[in-house]
Amino acid sequence: MNHWIELLTPSLLETLYMVFASVFFTILFGLPLGIILVVTDPNHILPNTRLNGVLSYIINITRSLPFIILMIFIFPFTRLVVGTTIGTTAAIVPLIIATTPFFARIVETSIKEVDWGVVEASISMGATPFQIIMKVLIPESMSSLILGVTITIINVLGYSAMAGTVGAGGLGDLAIRYGYHRFQTDVMIATIILLIILVQIIQSTGNKIAQIINKK
Amino acid sequence: MIKIKNLSKVYTKGRNQVTALESITLDIHKGDIYGIIGLSGAGKSSLIRCINRLEEPTSGDIWINGVNLVTLKSAELRNARKKMGMIFQNFNLLHSKTVFENIAFPLRLLKTSEKTITEKVKKLLDLVELSDKAHVYPSQLSGGQKQRVGIARALANEPDVLLCDEATSALDPKTTKQILDLLKNINKELGLTIVVITHEMEVIKEICSHVAILEGGYIVEEGHTIDIFSKPGNAVTKHFVEQMQHLPEQYLEGKVLNLSFTEGSAGTPIISRLTKVFDIDVNILSGKIEYIQEKPIGKLTVQMHVDCHKLLDIITYFEENHVKVEVLKQ
Repeated sequence: MNHWIELLTPSLLETLYMVFASVFFTILFGLPLGIILVVTDPNHILPNTRLNGVLSYIINITRSLPFIILMIFIFPFTRLVVGTTIGTTAAIVPLIIATTPFFARIVETSIKEVDWGVVEASISMGATPFQIIMKVLIPESMSSLILGVTITIINVLGYSAMAGTVGAGGLGDLAIRYGYHRFQTDVMIATIILLIILVQIIQSTGNKIAQIINKK
Repeated sequence: MIKIKNLSKVYTKGRNQVTALESITLDIHKGDIYGIIGLSGAGKSSLIRCINRLEEPTSGDIWINGVNLVTLKSAELRNARKKMGMIFQNFNLLHSKTVFENIAFPLRLLKTSEKTITEKVKKLLDLVELSDKAHVYPSQLSGGQKQRVGIARALANEPDVLLCDEATSALDPKTTKQILDLLKNINKELGLTIVVITHEMEVIKEICSHVAILEGGYIVEEGHTIDIFSKPGNAVTKHFVEQMQHLPEQYLEGKVLNLSFTEGSAGTPIISRLTKVFDIDVNILSGKIEYIQEKPIGKLTVQMHVDCHKLLDIITYFEENHVKVEVLKQ
């Protein structure tokens, strides 16, 4: 048993570090990006067709690249930011770049769900666009945003396994090194079970929080 | 108070242009409850939304308390809007906030102190009789209660005008009545000017001191509600006012007259006197008396067997007694 814990714990921690660090930055960049996508729409509170078009275009490009290719493609950038292209911290850079556009689209969908009538009501009360974003759009879509974050975390968990191939460590790396290269099927199964448990915990926690927040 | 001058609104989509409002000119005085009625597509929603520029007028001026709203830049417009409350058909409350927070919302936009907010919201909750629901979320309220929250929220900034965009159209008749009573109260107690748009004649009858009838983007008739009701001059107006019931053909024998009684004549037993003066029998085919802001208006359809000379005398007799006559069949 101790042997298992010794083997799995470091990998699990690496995975958790990668996932939560990337998700933190993904939210930091993706939330404003998603909101800008919505409010700069020609029929929204800060219409700006040009900015909207450019952002949407960039997001689509980033989203067309498979993660493993994106990761290698941006090596120079990764080196610029963290000084190296291998290791757990280095993997966080491509993870953020791959996930931010994904999360931005999810935010866009959630914010678009906010009833336009409520936005109009706030306009009629003299709210500024910034107040509408902070006091109406975000709180009104919070439950949906939480579910979006949940999906994003699980998505990053999947990507992080691939990051293992460039020496980022984590559960994916463990499964490949032991389970595949060394034919230790039991390690492979253990990692899979651990991943399944992780995903279950993340999803049910996300659902629970979203449910508590949802007052509709 | 509110002066609308030559207001036009044209929607452009691609090459198509649709004119929603055409040179609307209206004068709404302080303390009026001004009703704008029209069928769907008449442009009434565009009109009320142009008043606080939720929609940009294509041309024309909107003066509110001497300020031309059309010329205001966005920051000035926001300040002007704070003095105009608005309520909506679908209430448009924030689902994520409690009743208390919904009412506090416009105050928080102004960074009002917590103490003032608590005081004001409490008063407003009292006014709309929802004190026990302060910490409940909108989803747990009935339609009428939601609209009360909407009204309280619209009043939070002590506006000069309250704009009601089909405020009762999603409510049942009983709740509609309660909301209208509340609006009437607010109008009386706070001296608030209220602009109401609706497609329901009941709303106009119940609360509006003035009414404008909108049809195809034009105002076809405008004036005191009681005048419009007693002497509708326009076909569209008649449609709203009378909601004509069609009498079966077989009853249309002899001479059939439509009579309209107004305040001056609704109190007198005119038919009873008529039968004595002319010594004739009068058969009542249909009739009703309505009260428009506590003023009676009677509508009566009567039938009698008389010759043409006598009919003229009878019409003269009615008109001398302030009864408007329309001959349906001679």
